[in-house]
Amino acid sequence: MPSEDTKERISKAVEIGRTILHYGWIPLIIYVGFTRSNPQPSLIKLISPLA
Amino acid sequence: MASPVVPPVKDDIYEPYAPDAPVGSRPSHWIPASPFTDVYARFSQWRTDLGLPHPGTVENLQKEVKSTHLSNFMFDGARADLTKSLSMNPLFQVTHSFALGSQTAQSSYNFGAIFASQSVFLQGGVDHDGNVNARLNQGWSANNVSKVQAQFSSQAGHNMIQLEHDYQGSDFSINAKAMNPSPTDFTGVYVGSYLQSITKNVALGVETLYQRPTPTLSDTATSLLAKFTSTDKSWIATAQLQVPGIVQATYWQKLSDKVEVAADLQLIAAPTRRDAVATLGAKYDLRLSTFKAQVDSTGKVSALLEQRFTPAFAFLLAGEIDHFKNAAKVGVGVMIESSTLTPEEMGMPPGPYGTV
Repeated sequence: MPSEDTKERISKAVEIGRTILHYGWIPLIIYVGFTRSNPQPSLIKLISPLA
Repeated sequence: MASPVVPPVKDDIYEPYAPDAPVGSRPSHWIPASPFTDVYARFSQWRTDLGLPHPGTVENLQKEVKSTHLSNFMFDGARADLTKSLSMNPLFQVTHSFALGSQTAQSSYNFGAIFASQSVFLQGGVDHDGNVNARLNQGWSANNVSKVQAQFSSQAGHNMIQLEHDYQGSDFSINAKAMNPSPTDFTGVYVGSYLQSITKNVALGVETLYQRPTPTLSDTATSLLAKFTSTDKSWIATAQLQVPGIVQATYWQKLSDKVEVAADLQLIAAPTRRDAVATLGAKYDLRLSTFKAQVDSTGKVSALLEQRFTPAFAFLLAGEIDHFKNAAKVGVGVMIESSTLTPEEMGMPPGPYGTV
């Protein structure tokens, strides 16, 4: 069994990872999709629902 | 297990066994194990000769029934989905969804993004409250797929993560899942399932759920699965039996190219609760529209029409009447797909609807 100290550190790391994914997941997909798309779309077309 | 004692020999000197399979391709330290590897090779050869089909996955056991019934597609109020495809290969699209006027759910806005290439599938959605749902599928080979699903919320207790791995053999499939696993005290929900083709038409499987909500409390539940597929795949019957008295049986039949019918029966016979629900549904796939109708034993009659006026514009109409509760729900929706690509870039032949 890991010690209390290690447990604390693990749960802190999980919490930080969760926060990063919470705010970073959608930007990550948009970044990956935007850079790998063929042909590359313009940014305004990406964000606006109407353009 | 006692493996035969063979002096460590080089390939060309001494060969105590004369195996059927050529040994040349194997390293010499495998020779002591050759009786076993040969049995394995013969067994797998024999298994290949049976020509059993792939049984599908446990998750998709009732896929046909679920896609014929409209329980998963029912909505009420008004909704609009604007999908924009920005790239076809790799697939990249963004979706803006609006929903309002529903009796059960609050009005909402949801932004979604999907990216899919040969081996990776990324999906994300965020609603106006800032709740994010995420999905990642990574294919390692044609048979191995790892999946991650997660939900992130600013409210405590609404976070969820599910790790999953799928292995598809030639005549079996294995899946292992972990929901909210904790690396410190191993709490969480763990599910393992195995489905094996027994004959060309019959597949049997087992699914075990291991729950560990706190480090001191744990619980397992096992269910047995059976799937019968007709030789021409025009009908599929499935049964799922969970040991403390839950039975789910389904039947799906394709009547013609355009018509599919499905029936579903759920029985709960626990000491504290006895309940049964039967659902009967039909789906019509017409040239530019899909119509689904369903009736169930709780007195609900529902129907869903999806009319596609052009490939880029679809209109949805959903209705449900609950005769026992005297309630009704009506839903209207539009789905608009637009693209920044020319028809040639999308890989479509230029046709009457080619220019979107």
